[in-house]
Amino acid sequence: MIKIIESIFQNLSVWGLPVLIIIVGIFEFIFGLYDKKTWTRNEIYLDITCFVIPRIVIQPMIIFFSLKLLPLVLPGLKNEFAWVPFGWAFFIIAVADDLTQYWYHRLHHQVPFLWRFHRTHHSAPYMGMSMASRQNVLYTIFFSQIYLTAALVYLGLGYAALFVTGIKSLITLAAHSSIPWDKPFYKYRILHPIAWVLERLISTPATHQAHHADTHGDGVGNYKGNFGNMFFIWDIIFKTGIITRKYPQSFGIKHYKQEEWYAQFAWPFFKSKKPGSELAANGPMVGDEIPE
Amino acid sequence: MRIPKETKQKIFRDIVVSLFLYALPVILMFLSFYITGKKPWLNQGKKNTVIIMNH
Repeated sequence: MIKIIESIFQNLSVWGLPVLIIIVGIFEFIFGLYDKKTWTRNEIYLDITCFVIPRIVIQPMIIFFSLKLLPLVLPGLKNEFAWVPFGWAFFIIAVADDLTQYWYHRLHHQVPFLWRFHRTHHSAPYMGMSMASRQNVLYTIFFSQIYLTAALVYLGLGYAALFVTGIKSLITLAAHSSIPWDKPFYKYRILHPIAWVLERLISTPATHQAHHADTHGDGVGNYKGNFGNMFFIWDIIFKTGIITRKYPQSFGIKHYKQEEWYAQFAWPFFKSKKPGSELAANGPMVGDEIPE
Repeated sequence: MRIPKETKQKIFRDIVVSLFLYALPVILMFLSFYITGKKPWLNQGKKNTVIIMNH
């Protein structure tokens, strides 16, 4: 049984996850969860670029550099902590990886200079598999938790990392989905206790869609909070989250100017030609701080 | 454009709490070893694998 689970997670980390994204994405499309008015050609190009390029170029590059660099930075420590029992290794990596990502994410929202590197993920006026990987190239390259987890793998916690990263990917993808899998937990009274634990522990479509809402402070949308990725508990601890069990009516950013896909993917190397855009040359650092 | 002072203070406070949260699993692990008397570092095993990217 353990071997089967192990092989599932191994396959998930290599080819399973992209295939799963495509399959769920097709279902979302069939169920009409992508609106033709918002999922324009520009958005499709951007979504596809962000799905393909990191997987075939950036991810192998990061792993290669980590493997070359870590023996230099941490000489003689390879597998030094392989004695850590699986359960504890799992716990250590889950906290280290996800708390680091919480901070990486939160700082990109709270430090004005960093916002434009994360804006591409929020400009999507829809939720779903197509936008789950949508990020600016620099945001992807500097994903801090990847390097931390790579270091923990080097130190000998690799086996647990396989499971943590697999489970984390499934939770974060499900939270980005336009399929509200958590709805039954709020609907049926008998499931309420499970819902109470679930929505505080992990990211759900309700809490994560609130983060992607184009509104804030209306009792549903909370784009200035709900930063958690795998765990929502960080938002509870730091009081940055809200739980409403409701789903926003619209997503994205109010001041979105449908910037060119290449500018959204590779800003600041490519700038937008849209006047007043955050991604244009001399554009504002944070658009919603500028009066309309 | 600057970070509001309140936000800056809250970020600083929360980072201090986070340092404790990072250490918590390691502290609990050694506490469990202390209670049970286990010393797994005496029988070192080696395992390794690949990592994947998340969002």
